[in-house]
Amino acid sequence: MESNKKYWKGIEELQKTPDFVGSNKNEFAESLPIEEVLSDAGLSSVTPRRDFLKALGFGLGAVTLAACQPTPVHKSIPYLVKPEEIVPGIPNYYASSHNGQSILVKTREGRPIKIEGNPNGIFGNHGTAPNTQASVLDLYDVSKLKGPKLNQSNTSWKALDAFVQGELNKVQASGKKLRIVSSSISSPSTKAVIADFIAQFPAAKLVQVDPVSYTGIIKANENSFGKAGLPRYRFDNADVIVSFGADFLGTWIASQEFTRQYVSNRNGASLKNKKMSRHIQFETGMSLTGTNADSRIPVKPSEEGVAILALYSAITGIALAGVSLSENVIADKAIKLAAKELLNAKGRALVVSGSNDVSVQTIVNAINSFLGSYGSTIDLDNPVTLYSGNDSEFAEFISEMNRGEVGAVFFLNSNPAYEYFSNKLFVDGLNKVSLKVSFADREDETAALCNVIAPNHNYLESWGDESVISGLYTIVQPTINPVHDTRQAEQSLLTWSANSVQDYYQYVKNNWERNILPGAGKTWKQLLQTGFVYSGEMPSASYAFNQSITAVVQTVVNQSKAVAKDVEVQLYQNAAILDGKHANNAFLQELPDPVSKVTWDNFAAIAPKYAEKIGVTEFDLVEIKGANGYTVTLPVLFQPGQAQGTISIAVGYGRTKVGKAGDGVGKNAYPFASMVNGTLQFNTSATITKTGGSYELAQTQTHHSYEGRNIIRETTFNSYLKDPHSGSGNHGTEHKTYDLWNERPITGHNWVMAIDLNACTGCGSCIVACNVENNIPVVGREEVLKRREMHWLRIDRYYSFNEGSESYTEEKEISELEDLDNVSVVHQPMLCQHCEHAPCETVCPVLATVHSSDGLNHMAYNRCVGTRYCANNCPYKVRRFNWFNYWNDSRFDNYMNNEFTQLVLNPDVTVRSRGVMEKCSMCIQRIQAGKLEAKMEKRTLKDGDIKMACQQACSAGAIIFGDMNDPESEVSKALGNERTYYVLEELNVQPGIGYQVKVRNTVEA
Amino acid sequence: MSSHHESILREPLITGENITYTKITNDILVPVENKANKAWWIGFTISALGALLWVVAVGYTFWTGIGAWGLNKTVGWAWDITGFVWWVGIGHAGTLISAILLLFRQNWRNSINRSAEAMTIFAVICAATYVVSHMGRPWLAYWPLPLPNQFGSLWVNFNSPLVWDVFAISTYFSVSLVFWYTGLLPDIATVRDRATGLRRRIYSIMSFGWNGSVKTWQRFEAVSLILAGVSTPLVLSVHTIVSMDFATSLVPGWHTTIFPPYFVAGAIFSGFAMVQTLLLVTRKVMNFENYITMFHIESMNKIIILTGSIVGVAYLTELFIAWYSGVEYEQYAFLNRVSGPYWWAYWSMMTCNVISPQLFWLKKVRTSIAASWILSIVVNIGMWFERFVIIVTSLHRDYLPSSWVMFYPSIIDVCVFIGSIGLFFTMFLLFLRVLPAIAMAEVKLLLKSSSDQSKQKLIRDKKVDPEQAEAYLQSLEKYDSVIPKPEYAKI
Repeated sequence: MESNKKYWKGIEELQKTPDFVGSNKNEFAESLPIEEVLSDAGLSSVTPRRDFLKALGFGLGAVTLAACQPTPVHKSIPYLVKPEEIVPGIPNYYASSHNGQSILVKTREGRPIKIEGNPNGIFGNHGTAPNTQASVLDLYDVSKLKGPKLNQSNTSWKALDAFVQGELNKVQASGKKLRIVSSSISSPSTKAVIADFIAQFPAAKLVQVDPVSYTGIIKANENSFGKAGLPRYRFDNADVIVSFGADFLGTWIASQEFTRQYVSNRNGASLKNKKMSRHIQFETGMSLTGTNADSRIPVKPSEEGVAILALYSAITGIALAGVSLSENVIADKAIKLAAKELLNAKGRALVVSGSNDVSVQTIVNAINSFLGSYGSTIDLDNPVTLYSGNDSEFAEFISEMNRGEVGAVFFLNSNPAYEYFSNKLFVDGLNKVSLKVSFADREDETAALCNVIAPNHNYLESWGDESVISGLYTIVQPTINPVHDTRQAEQSLLTWSANSVQDYYQYVKNNWERNILPGAGKTWKQLLQTGFVYSGEMPSASYAFNQSITAVVQTVVNQSKAVAKDVEVQLYQNAAILDGKHANNAFLQELPDPVSKVTWDNFAAIAPKYAEKIGVTEFDLVEIKGANGYTVTLPVLFQPGQAQGTISIAVGYGRTKVGKAGDGVGKNAYPFASMVNGTLQFNTSATITKTGGSYELAQTQTHHSYEGRNIIRETTFNSYLKDPHSGSGNHGTEHKTYDLWNERPITGHNWVMAIDLNACTGCGSCIVACNVENNIPVVGREEVLKRREMHWLRIDRYYSFNEGSESYTEEKEISELEDLDNVSVVHQPMLCQHCEHAPCETVCPVLATVHSSDGLNHMAYNRCVGTRYCANNCPYKVRRFNWFNYWNDSRFDNYMNNEFTQLVLNPDVTVRSRGVMEKCSMCIQRIQAGKLEAKMEKRTLKDGDIKMACQQACSAGAIIFGDMNDPESEVSKALGNERTYYVLEELNVQPGIGYQVKVRNTVEA
Repeated sequence: MSSHHESILREPLITGENITYTKITNDILVPVENKANKAWWIGFTISALGALLWVVAVGYTFWTGIGAWGLNKTVGWAWDITGFVWWVGIGHAGTLISAILLLFRQNWRNSINRSAEAMTIFAVICAATYVVSHMGRPWLAYWPLPLPNQFGSLWVNFNSPLVWDVFAISTYFSVSLVFWYTGLLPDIATVRDRATGLRRRIYSIMSFGWNGSVKTWQRFEAVSLILAGVSTPLVLSVHTIVSMDFATSLVPGWHTTIFPPYFVAGAIFSGFAMVQTLLLVTRKVMNFENYITMFHIESMNKIIILTGSIVGVAYLTELFIAWYSGVEYEQYAFLNRVSGPYWWAYWSMMTCNVISPQLFWLKKVRTSIAASWILSIVVNIGMWFERFVIIVTSLHRDYLPSSWVMFYPSIIDVCVFIGSIGLFFTMFLLFLRVLPAIAMAEVKLLLKSSSDQSKQKLIRDKKVDPEQAEAYLQSLEKYDSVIPKPEYAKI
């Protein structure tokens, strides 16, 4: 039943009065006084309390609603179509190679951010060199060219190709020569491309040249044994090593491979077997290798050749006329001793020389032959092809240019305008060439003189290959699309020579599939995964030197006499900058030179006593005038152990067109070099004058002796054999210690580290690895001068001086010593010790630094207010404060301040803001990643699953990280070693990093 | 406090003739009730420029980062904490004068306590500015406070001496402020009663309705005593805790148990020196010679010599203990202080703090205004160097020689320090203009008993033993400055 009940609101509605009917049509029955309120009178009327409350309520509601808007959206581009191989947050590793070493490139979301040695690799693969670690930054270098250039203006590749091809045809027609100038090429495919190019243009020729060349050794081997090439030295087979100026641990040939070999005879495992090699170094300036030597004898450049002759004569018993070391009594004595030791170790001895002189290297060959080194410590049958530059060929090329015979020249990874000693000769010649092409990735000194710049890819954008020792082939594969409009040099050559294979990737693949892979039984895909193929080495035969050395001796003696005038200058490479090719790499510029600890500069290293004699003090500016008239003004650095009357200057500095970071850093020392008997010589005689004024060098360490403190503990090999505890302070019973805090046992993992001072050579690779891994700011020279470098890991280098049988380590005693030549060096990597009783933790007012349950000292950047109390209270001084906003401050424009360069940052590590403290986190991101991986695979962590960045980069294996609660872990075993001690253990801060005593294989006096 | 009979042999605390309660009020309120004189304007202009420099220097630091200062990886504190400790130390004299001397009924404190307390407050403000400005992220300066927060269970670290410091300094500041203001109430009421218009209204609010009734006075006395009791431990505790910033660390040269007493003595030492520096000028410029007499100056000099000697003994003890401990790091730290690259700072400290105050053993020096003023400045310099020596020379060469560095201040460091002095004087000069620099009410208490005129009257009325009267008059002539001497005019 339908209800037709009606309710009415009022009598008006019931009666339906006309008034009601009228007003009921409106939305509001009574008209609202809007007009009234908004009129002048209304607005000026006093607001009643209720209105006020209404407005307030509305306002609050409106504001609340307005505030409910979502936070601003940052534009980020998601993967519309997700690439199959990329999972955001998960790194991909690609096998590639750098300087012939098989490496893994870590990429995150498609950008390469870190280089690691390929753990399965076989050449130098226990670690990586500092420049390998830093090379990833070169990819993001803002100073690189963004596209090709023709006659100093930007152009397209098409236009450039047309121009070059046209010019090439013209040169071809004119019958002039074509020259491809390159640093040593060890890539089979590149060589093949060039061979094809030469086939197309028969007037072309490849000239290989290295700024620091090894022509001397190559030629000497050719003369002595008919085997032109750099032999593969085997320091691991040598019981006695005598080196004359060869910095084989720092810069000489394949230093990381040599480091591994060298340390294998000196590390904990070797000492356990009661075996330690003996290393005697004769050199002018203190090199990284010299700092590691058991005996180091300073000799002048002019004495070096004579010393080698003296050694020859002492070993063979053949007296040589005119050979006398009478002016250097110590060296004379040392040579006799070295001869005795070498003879005792016949067959397991090795003599090397850093000289680039054919005659000197011939004598070295004769000595090694006499000692039976060939087939044992020197392998001539498996040559190293890292360096194959030929000095005289390059000199001939310059003459050709100057004679106007060259019509086209191509510079591949070569920069003679900077590197060649005679800039004028080179530039004059180059001006006579019509087609000048540079493949440089930037407009460098040489490229600026060329009419065509065809910028090459970075190696991380390239296809390619390398073969630096016989039998080993490594692949170079791109890990990112070319960032700029660049083109691989080989591709350019293929294009210009109209090769039948136009794509370099295809070319490389063909080359491998035709020539290399079948022998190795691998496919191309397998190769890309493993990164290299190795067919094994050839059997190493013994070689005998049987030539007359009379003429050679005379040459050496004469050359020595030529250099022995006034002050002798020695040019060297330092382990960070090397030949200067990567001078724009801020990581390398800020990596302290392992010996002098100087960053961002080169200098004139002078022995303190000699400086006193000529009246100069440290950081004085001096003008050095070489025999060829080249002068340079450099600050003086006091270098203990520098030979008296000599100056050492690093090459690789003074670049003018390398880029933002490297331009104008230091002075160019290459022009001091000279061409003698067809090889480049890096010694000269010079005069030195004080110019007045001084220039302070930015050193990361300004106090150089350890003041007799037991932070450094060392012993001799003989004492070690008698008592393995010797020097470690671990004798007798343990002290009873008392704690202020309750003991908290660490039950899960207990992360600790062991560092073997006897393995660490001090090269600094770990520092760069740490920088790259942990986004550590580069602060620049001015800030390093203010002692504000940010390195979490540093290598402390201390000198101690020996006089008689005494060792002097205190500044005061040292200042009274007469002879500062007899110096011993120790390198001590220093990083956060992750103390169990961390002094930093108790003093932080806001608990920004706290202890973890697995034995680590954490740093919560977000909580830090920056009182710096923790850094003050850290006895190891390893905490670093962000003085400025390094990632967003135009004054630090050499690395993370740039949007493009920022792409190199590790996304797993926070970039710190200004005002917070930071320090070694024990690569916490790696620990977490390792744990996570084990968890996903449902297994427990294995020892070695997690590796620290520093540990991974260390060729010497000096750093071991692991779990102390696992008695089988490598680190537990290492810390159980008799040589283990803890720095400042008497403070009872209970550091988590144990050091192993440095052992010196010295001869008892 | 109370007006009672006093031995004629005691030196008068108020000099001059025809001193009445009104005259005291009139004399003391001259700077408050009149336009500032030229000397004040000159002083204020210079100080205000200094304060401006402080604003600029600290602003620049906030803008760019602590890197604007000369600090480095090894020396994390230098001029900042030196300045902080220096200012906190200076503050201590005010509290000592107002609290401890009150409890010990040392009536001579009545004429200097007001300015000394004001100095305390301004010095603590200066110190606090350093606490905030030395932080890497000063906008988070409230984090060391144990505030309830939304960061989860995040709390402050009660083990950290810096947290103790936060408590010590904030307690110190608040108690000092309350004590100072309570003492000001009767005087503000006096100013109110004499003022008209807006000034009257402001001072009326500031006087908290003081009506001068017996009950009010009785409560005033009681509160003063209680606050004195509260403040007394603070004199000892604040600088003890400041010293623990260093003493509880393990930096050689910081890690010493002698620090608390040594710091407290040093604080009082520097505080009295600063009181001298300020009051010697104030009494001259403001014509307060009758109320701040040579007796006051001499008394303070005596405290300076006492505390200076304590500090000196502490310095020597430190050296001895370093040698005796056999700890090589400790030994080196002190050898380095004495003969290292900052030897000049150590010897400046020794000269200024230990040797120069010994001159006060000579009555002639101790009663010479010029000498007192110069030596008070010397002591202030010495005490700055003391903190610099402790902080910088200990830090710059600690355990691992590889990290040994030198510290060089930047221009901003210098500007912040000079600026903080400007800030201090700006506040002090403003104080002189708006509040009575001498506690009028408390001085008035002494008029009937301890003033020269009342003592003279007793002698004239032959109410005292003539022998004693003779001794009193002689003492005035022999040593003191009751009768104005021409050399007064020199300052």
